[in-house]
Amino acid sequence: MNIRKLAWKNLLRRKSRAVFTGLGIFLGIATFVAISSITSQMEGAVQDQLDRFGANIVVSPRAEQLSLGFGNMTLGGTEVTYSRLTMADKERIASIHHKDRIRSIVPFLVTAADASGKNLVWMGLPAADVAGARPWWKIQGGMGLKRGEVLLGAEAAALLDKGAGGTVTAGKRLFRVAGVLQPTGEKEDGMVIADIADVQALAKRPGAVTYFEVAALCKNCPVEQIVAQIGQALPGARVSAIRQVVESRKAAVEQLRRLGFGVSAIVLLIGGLMVLVTVMGGVQERTREIGVLRAVGFRKRSIFSLLFWETGWVSLLSSLLGAGTGIAVAYIASPVFGIEHPSVVFSPAIFGAVAGLSLGLIGAIPPARRAAALSPTEAIRSL
Amino acid sequence: MEPIIHLKDVSMVYGGNGTRTTALAGISFDVLQGEYLVITGESGAGKSTMLTILGGLQVPTEGAVRIGGSDLSALPADGLADFRRKTIGFVFQAYHLLPYLTARENVMVPMSPERVPPREKEERANDLLASVGLAGKEDRLPSQLSGGESQRVAIARALVHDPPVLLADEPTGNLDSATGEQILDLFSGWHGRGKTVLMVTHNKANLSRATRSIRLRDGQVEEDRLLQSFSAEPAAV
Repeated sequence: MNIRKLAWKNLLRRKSRAVFTGLGIFLGIATFVAISSITSQMEGAVQDQLDRFGANIVVSPRAEQLSLGFGNMTLGGTEVTYSRLTMADKERIASIHHKDRIRSIVPFLVTAADASGKNLVWMGLPAADVAGARPWWKIQGGMGLKRGEVLLGAEAAALLDKGAGGTVTAGKRLFRVAGVLQPTGEKEDGMVIADIADVQALAKRPGAVTYFEVAALCKNCPVEQIVAQIGQALPGARVSAIRQVVESRKAAVEQLRRLGFGVSAIVLLIGGLMVLVTVMGGVQERTREIGVLRAVGFRKRSIFSLLFWETGWVSLLSSLLGAGTGIAVAYIASPVFGIEHPSVVFSPAIFGAVAGLSLGLIGAIPPARRAAALSPTEAIRSL
Repeated sequence: MEPIIHLKDVSMVYGGNGTRTTALAGISFDVLQGEYLVITGESGAGKSTMLTILGGLQVPTEGAVRIGGSDLSALPADGLADFRRKTIGFVFQAYHLLPYLTARENVMVPMSPERVPPREKEERANDLLASVGLAGKEDRLPSQLSGGESQRVAIARALVHDPPVLLADEPTGNLDSATGEQILDLFSGWHGRGKTVLMVTHNKANLSRATRSIRLRDGQVEEDRLLQSFSAEPAAV
C-alpha cells in the first residue's frame, strides 16, 4: 500500500465521481484533438481549393526602364527587354526540382491588333486552359473556346457591338465570337481573348509568350523556393510571387486554425473548471477520511499527494481516452468537412493528452491544497 | 521515573465573536510509562478535547504538553504528524476504517507515505491482524466484518508503528459486552508489554483493567485515583 495505490483504490470506490471528474477532460481533449485534426487536414483541403483558384507566380521577361535625356532635358523613357519568353520555356519551368508542386503553367501573349476596324488588345492563351486559368469568368453565350474563335470582354463587345455567335475580323482572318465575358472590373473587359496560337499568328510572332502564369500547390511549400528554382531555370526571366495571393491564402488558413484553437481552448477551460469543482466537492465530502489519515500520521504533503494522484489517474485515463476518441471522430467526420483523403494526425493527440493531464493536475491544485490545509482539529470534529 | 505524558496548566477555550466555551480549565497531571489510565466524565466534561490534545491533533490555548520528551506546542505541523505516526496509536469508537480497503490495506494505511518494500508492509499488517485474532480475514472489506472485528482492525492499525502510547476514545462504545471484553483483553495484553494506555470512556466496567482513573468535570480534574499497581517495562519512544 502506498499513496498511488490508495488514490487508485479511492477512485474505484467513487466510480461515478471519477467518471464525472474525467468527463470534462475527456470532452475537452476529444474536442481539441478532433478540431485540431480536422483543421489540420482542412488546411490542406482549403489550400488545395485556393490553389485551384488562379495562379500565384508570374514569369515575365526581365526588363529595365531607361530614361533618356539631353542635358537637363528629359526625353521620356523606354523599356529594354533583355530576353523574350517562348513556348519552349514552359518545359523548362516544368522541369524544376519542385515540379510536383506545380499544378499549371499557362502561357499568355498580349498584343495590340485590329478587331473589326478597332485597335484593341488581344490576349492569347491556350483555349483548353481558359477555364483553369480564369475560373471566375462568367461567359455569356457559351463556355468553350476553340481555335478560330474569340471571347470578348464586356467593354470590347459593347465597342464592337458584337455578341455570341457574331464575328470579328482581324486583317484577313475571321473569328467567330464564342461568348462575351460578364464585366470583371479588370483589363480583360476591354480585350479580345483568343487561343494563343491565333494571337501569335496575328502578331506574326510564332512561339512568342508575354508571360507565364504558374499555379503552385503551396501547402507546406515555400513559394519563395519555387520562385528561385524557376529563376534558375530561366535566367533571363523575372519571376515573382503574387504576394497578395499567397498572403491571403495563408491568412485564410490561419483564421481557420485560430478558430479551431479558440473553440478547443474554451472547451478545455470548461473541462479544467469541472475538475476543480468536482475535486473541491470531493474534499468537502471526505473531511472525515482526511481526519483519519491525519490522525494516523499523514503529513500535509501526503494528503496533497493523495488528492494529486487521484486527479492524476483520472486526468491521465480521460486524456488518453479523449485523444483516442478525438482521432476517431476526426477520421470519421473528415468527409463532412470536404477532406477527400482523411488521415490520422498524431501530433494533436499527443499534445492533447499532455495538455489534458496537465490541466487536470493544475485543476487539482486548489482542492488538494485545501485538503492538505484542513486542520486536524476541523477534520477530527467529524470523527 | 520520568513521566511519559506531562500536562501543565492545560486550558482549551473554543469560540470567538463573543461566544467562548471552556473545554479544559487548567488541567495538570503526569502519566507514567506503563500506566493504564481511564478518563471518565459526563458529556461535555472535556474528555474528547483532552484526547485530541494528547494526540497532537490540536494545541491547547494555554499550558504545556510534553509526550515522550516532545513539547507538542513547539512542534510544527509536519512535526506533529510525525509525532502522531511514531508515538501515538489512535482507536476510535466508530473504528473509522476506510471502507474501500481490505482489513490488511487498512492496517497498512499509516505506512502508505513510507518508502518501505510492499512485502514488508504486508507482512507487518498480517502479523498484527493475526495478533488481534483476525488471521484469515485479511482480505475482507470492513462491510464484511462484524463490529468487534472492525475494532480489532482499527487496533491493529493503531499498533502498526508500535507506538508507546495508545489513545482510545470509547473503544467498546459500539460493541456488545462480550465483544467489548475481547477488545479490552487486547488492550490489556498490549498494556502488559509495558505500553501506556489512555482510554476515554463512559463505561465504568472499563475501570476494572485500569491502573488509574481520572474523572473530569467542567474541564477540570474532579478525581485522580490509583486503582492498582503496575510494572513499567522500558518502552521505546
